[in-house]
Amino acid sequence: MSDIYHKLEKIVSDNYISKDIYVRHAYSRNVDVILQGIPDIVIRPRDAQEISEILKIANEENIAVIPRGAGICEFGGSKPIGNNGIVLDLKRMNNILNLDEENLIVTVEAGISWGKLNEYLCQFGLYTGCMGPGSGMSASIGGGISHHSVGGGGCAKYGACTNQLVSLEVVLPTGEIIETGSQANKYSKFPFNRFGNGPDFAGLFCGDNGIFGVKTKVSLQVFPKPKFAEYKTYLMPRKSAETAAQIMTDIRRCGIDVYDAMFIPDVVIAVGSQQGLFPLWDHIKKKRGIFFYTIEANSEIELLEKVKYLDEIISNTKSEYLGSEISDGNIAKWHYKEQGHWQFYHNLWGMFPSMQALSAECFCPINSFPKILRDIDQWDVEHNEDMQKIFNITKIRPISGSGPVALIDGNNVEITSGFVTFWGYYDNEFHKIIEETNLKLWKSLLERVIKHGTQWYMMGEFLSRFMVDIGAYSEEFYNLMKSIKKNLDPNMILSRGKFNFWGEK
Amino acid sequence: MSQLKNLKKEWKAIMSCMGCGDCGYAIRPAVGRYLTCPVKEAMEEEGFEIYFSRGRMNVLKSILEGQIPLSKELAEWVYQCSECGNCTEVCHMSQNPYIVLPTCNWIDHVKVWEALRKDLIEAGFAPLDRHNDLIKYMNDDKKKNPYGEERNKKFEWIKEFPEIKDKGELMFFGGCTMPLRQVDTLRSMMKILRAANKEIAMTNEELCCGSIALRIGDEKSISAVIKQNIELFKEKGAKTLFTACAGCYRTWKKDYPELLGEELPFEVKHITEILIELLNNNQIPFKEIEQEDVKVTYHDPCHLGRHMNFYDIPREVISKIPGINLIEMKRTRNNAWCCGAGGGVKSQFPDLAIKISEERINEAIEAGALILTTSCPFCIGNLSDAYEKMDDSIKESIKVVDIIDLIASKL
Repeated sequence: MSDIYHKLEKIVSDNYISKDIYVRHAYSRNVDVILQGIPDIVIRPRDAQEISEILKIANEENIAVIPRGAGICEFGGSKPIGNNGIVLDLKRMNNILNLDEENLIVTVEAGISWGKLNEYLCQFGLYTGCMGPGSGMSASIGGGISHHSVGGGGCAKYGACTNQLVSLEVVLPTGEIIETGSQANKYSKFPFNRFGNGPDFAGLFCGDNGIFGVKTKVSLQVFPKPKFAEYKTYLMPRKSAETAAQIMTDIRRCGIDVYDAMFIPDVVIAVGSQQGLFPLWDHIKKKRGIFFYTIEANSEIELLEKVKYLDEIISNTKSEYLGSEISDGNIAKWHYKEQGHWQFYHNLWGMFPSMQALSAECFCPINSFPKILRDIDQWDVEHNEDMQKIFNITKIRPISGSGPVALIDGNNVEITSGFVTFWGYYDNEFHKIIEETNLKLWKSLLERVIKHGTQWYMMGEFLSRFMVDIGAYSEEFYNLMKSIKKNLDPNMILSRGKFNFWGEK
Repeated sequence: MSQLKNLKKEWKAIMSCMGCGDCGYAIRPAVGRYLTCPVKEAMEEEGFEIYFSRGRMNVLKSILEGQIPLSKELAEWVYQCSECGNCTEVCHMSQNPYIVLPTCNWIDHVKVWEALRKDLIEAGFAPLDRHNDLIKYMNDDKKKNPYGEERNKKFEWIKEFPEIKDKGELMFFGGCTMPLRQVDTLRSMMKILRAANKEIAMTNEELCCGSIALRIGDEKSISAVIKQNIELFKEKGAKTLFTACAGCYRTWKKDYPELLGEELPFEVKHITEILIELLNNNQIPFKEIEQEDVKVTYHDPCHLGRHMNFYDIPREVISKIPGINLIEMKRTRNNAWCCGAGGGVKSQFPDLAIKISEERINEAIEAGALILTTSCPFCIGNLSDAYEKMDDSIKESIKVVDIIDLIASKL
């Protein structure tokens, strides 16, 4: 390993590489309570050229390389699978390279966060539209592209992080550097269109979970931020999920470009209120589901007209308008005006000390989500015995269910589901039974949700392999993905192990 | 595993870290959040995650699980932290009282870092060299201050002010930094108090409050000091003890009662609380000022702001000084950027401390301020050291002045 280290050190210089045991452990986890993989080496490369050289050495030495943006994958995607390999910390690459104000395209290094980019854009009255994943305050643009992420605001209007993608610079697993879309034409001076000049190669890397290449430069369409916005929150009637789904469908049928539309299920409101998480809803007697929307417009008249349509849709549902202020219960105002959209993922995370989520975040058609939510409730009942094993130690039962259900581009929603549970290390003892039960429950829940035909975006180590393990992929799709992987990455260097693409060891 | 006695008390906080990374990267302009960790940012492109909270929490999880040990190498990483507490402010924090994001209820990062430091000291991997010197000086009967100066030097300035009594209801705790490094500010304080006819008392028997030892994690060194200090001021008839040092204020007001498990027998105030009373009663006779208002910005010391939720009074004080227009920097109050001096960084890693202060001075200039003021001698010291090393153009743009000197200059 020391030979490899010295070769890599020559590429980046000694300030940007570490094999210190504490640095390696700092990079050994993501956002879950189970998965860990300790890298041998952590490197902070400066640019695509350095990454290219690193990958060439990794191929020569047959050592796995794991790209890492902000490290917020909920399925262990940006740490090694097993204790080995090189973590590429891409957060050093966080510069804005160009803002083409005339053509409304920004080009950035892939390690920049959605928060930093939008802070810059707002000086020009612009924004990225889709504001990134729910963790966009910190999450990297590259990670959002690698996962088709959603949830950080604006997804109902602008879609996932990948919808506005214009061009990518990618370092392929064997070290070649390519640019996609309009940049495939060597005479093109700047990126302006993702499609054309042949296949949509940018699309190959969108949602690839880091297996086909390391994204180093991203060009995105940006948009003038409309000057007017309205945001309203409603208490849903009985059958709140079905009502919310109906409202979302009606919004799509009317063709109104809501910026965000979200539903928070009854269980979150009830449990969260009991634990004092929602002072804004303390005054509500019947703790049922909450629906809220945000709509933007370029003029007051346009806004009033859109709101009128939305009010008509919602007024048919016996939903109760909660008032204009956050203190009245209007969470939509916090979500939009105070950028709460970057703080609003699974609401019950951390409700008790050491309680965190094992996620099952996925896309599904609008009209499917109430059924899936009901089935997750049913799954919870069926797994009470296992939940009880954890309760016996922690005296708090894990809670299944969904965080916000968010309308995304098209007639789809994102379900932020899963269950909140505890670390195996609890009350200063390691409880193997908690870890084993967590693993069993997580697999069981994911399988249940997969069988609803859902679509996964962030897959990381765990879900990418689990889909393969349970035979959920169609054979043709999986084989095509594998053959592309083999062609691009014959030694299976990059993100080795994801989707069960293992290299020879 | 007995090595981890203090860290184990913080297991709930450590295991509650969800790993979102906002403590390293968060930018949320709507609530004034522009990044979080001064140490990580000062490391610039070398900012590996071990430099900020999430990376450190991941390491602590591994330590608690028995995967890796405490060590001297770990101490070198861990002490590169000013314990500013900014990571706590961004940790699953809605920044709105009507919405509670629950993880913020369980993690007090500074408490975790101090627990780790205690365990490192108890295991013999800390204090680091320079910190060891400070502790030695504090335990030396001839010195009893972290600067290694002769004990009596701290009290020489009092001779200039015969009106300072030896006992009384309102007693001043001088601390170490001002009397040994910024004595002119004490003269300014007396100028104000004299002009306002405010009587104070002080004792030359006071001992260093022990803030530095606590922040380094050496609780043992100060356990005797606490009781001696409290008894001393009680005997002197104190009903109110006030200090002009943010570090002493935090130690007296928060640490002493926590460590003793009981309330102090007198009230503890910061100098700005005394000043605001005088200002509200029109007891400070300012000169008439005719020139245009000067733009002044206030730097929130971590030991006052985030550690004690003490934001408004210094601003009220500044707003009442004639000829001054108080403006805010981009990062202010609970989002304020640390000066970089705290947590033992100034003594052990002086270049790092100065680099962090440079950023803060530049931020004040960007805000359009001609004066950067604050109410902590430790911040003043570090900001001034950074200022001295910066270009002349900076020195032409701005001055660094203690809030006490600012008032005194208007008398």
